[in-house]
Amino acid sequence: MSIEVSGLNKTFGDFVALDDVNVSLPKGQLTALLGPSGGGKSTLLRIIAGLEKADSGSVTIEGVDATDLPAQKRNVGFVFQHYAVFKHMTVAKNVAFGLEIRKRPKDEIERRVAELLELVHLSQFAHRLPSQLSGGQRQRMALARALAVEPSVLLLDEPFGALDAKVRKELRDWLRRLHDDVHVTTVFVTHDQEEALEVADEIVVVDQGRVEQVGTPDQLYDEPANDFVMSFLGDVTHLGGLTLRPHDIELDATPRLAGGVEGTIARLVRIGFEVRVTVHTVDGDEVSVVVTRAHARSLGLAEGRTVWLTPAAGAAVVPRMVLAG
Amino acid sequence: MSTVDTTLDRPARTPRRSAPRSTLTRSSGLALGLAMTWFSLLVLIPLAAVVVTASEGGWGAFWSTVTTPQTAAAIRLTVLTAAAVTVVNVVMGPLIAWVLVRDRFWGKSVLEILIDIPFALPTIVAGLVLLSLYGNDSPLGVNVANRRPAVFLAFLFVTLPFVVRMVQPVLEELDRDVEEAAASLGASRVTTFRRIILPSLAPAIAAGAALSFARGVSEYGSLVLLSGNLPFQTEVTSVRILSSIENDNVAGAAAVATILLVISLVVIVVLDLIQRRVAARG
Repeated sequence: MSIEVSGLNKTFGDFVALDDVNVSLPKGQLTALLGPSGGGKSTLLRIIAGLEKADSGSVTIEGVDATDLPAQKRNVGFVFQHYAVFKHMTVAKNVAFGLEIRKRPKDEIERRVAELLELVHLSQFAHRLPSQLSGGQRQRMALARALAVEPSVLLLDEPFGALDAKVRKELRDWLRRLHDDVHVTTVFVTHDQEEALEVADEIVVVDQGRVEQVGTPDQLYDEPANDFVMSFLGDVTHLGGLTLRPHDIELDATPRLAGGVEGTIARLVRIGFEVRVTVHTVDGDEVSVVVTRAHARSLGLAEGRTVWLTPAAGAAVVPRMVLAG
Repeated sequence: MSTVDTTLDRPARTPRRSAPRSTLTRSSGLALGLAMTWFSLLVLIPLAAVVVTASEGGWGAFWSTVTTPQTAAAIRLTVLTAAAVTVVNVVMGPLIAWVLVRDRFWGKSVLEILIDIPFALPTIVAGLVLLSLYGNDSPLGVNVANRRPAVFLAFLFVTLPFVVRMVQPVLEELDRDVEEAAASLGASRVTTFRRIILPSLAPAIAAGAALSFARGVSEYGSLVLLSGNLPFQTEVTSVRILSSIENDNVAGAAAVATILLVISLVVIVVLDLIQRRVAARG
């Protein structure tokens, strides 16, 4: 295990940021800490980095107890949401900073900086100031700066959160490929489930200071541990006593399958290749179903028609959480 | 990689250092004219008048005026004391600003207000305060009346807020992320301060230092009471200028004033150069 976190607690005044968190992150993997804002995932990352101190619990990095080590001694690379560039230094100087602190020989620093700038595709910007770079370029520079000191783990706190959607998507793919090249144990925080599902080897779902589930993207999507994980990873709807995904419901114009729930189509919305159908069942549920355009046409769906709904075979379902009040 | 390359790495246009093209429209031209007239009436013409008056007797007269032993002593005292006070402020100012911005403690808001008192107080009142505290009947047992430390003390008192107030807003705007980034890269607190924080503060410190020096050189009210204005001992240039005028030696007063003008200008330029050097240090 590269990072071992056990029994971590952290409060800010009355607010419980982390509540007895235990996580083991294997070496060389790309792990996402996923959860809603304010759920404690950034706090967890900052405690691993030594930028925040836990109230209790321990952090072990590469077998070394780091609980009481200051950030300077942990040898972790940290990338911030808002880049945290050293404004008055050139791109090359920014990347060289950690190596200069370590008093490496000049020619070694030069060579390593050139390599890293090559890796993040900023070679031609070496002598620019960060203010002359775009957001995406600044974040890649920050990544090179963090990688320069050959950290044992790389931590990224909402690394693409401040970028626009298109750049975010490009950087996401790029991070995945970079990780495949560099293989450093990487943990990144995100509240975007698509980002986590697409990039990570393993996802840790964190909510209200607690770890809700740990697993691969497939495990999380197909076997969610509870209602929260299920609904956080994608759209959900309720049919009978179950929570399931709108595309995991079979919709028929005749009572073809046993156990089908009868209902009336209240609304039909076509978005590109898919059709979103809202059905009011005889049980009083409002169920969303997603079908393909072709399927909708072949069934002749229209508002006001009676249909029968059945959970699809192999659908991921969890019992519906009963909310008090 | 091609997608990232083409969309993100398009080389931005290199900023060229050419003479800025005029962006004046009719209304902004009018505004510029007004600003220049105002500036000329208040600053340029009076300054030119001082220089003209000083040069009326020719270079020889000018030089002999400013090098008379008494005047030279006054200039030396004023400039050296102002420089010393500025050095103290350059160290203490950022320190006080740091405490005010980064620390939370009881009585902080009171301290915030206290810092500004030297600004708000009429200088002669400041002089009176200093006289009653550090004069012949000092309740503290510290008597610097009619001695050089009196000048130093008075300069220190009136220039205290300059560096603090210049540095404070810059320090408030400073990203804490950046310090954390430096720490995670292995930089100690001292290194982080020297290589990351100080370069960001340098312009503000330099501006505060320039103001502090200029204010010191021009100070009159706060020191006349305590310093005693003894020739060769505690007489500063502003006092020297006044006594020249009282003796109907306007050209002499203007000559001293011109010297102060040149010194202040040089100091401001030098501070700006230092500031650029520190800010660019990576």
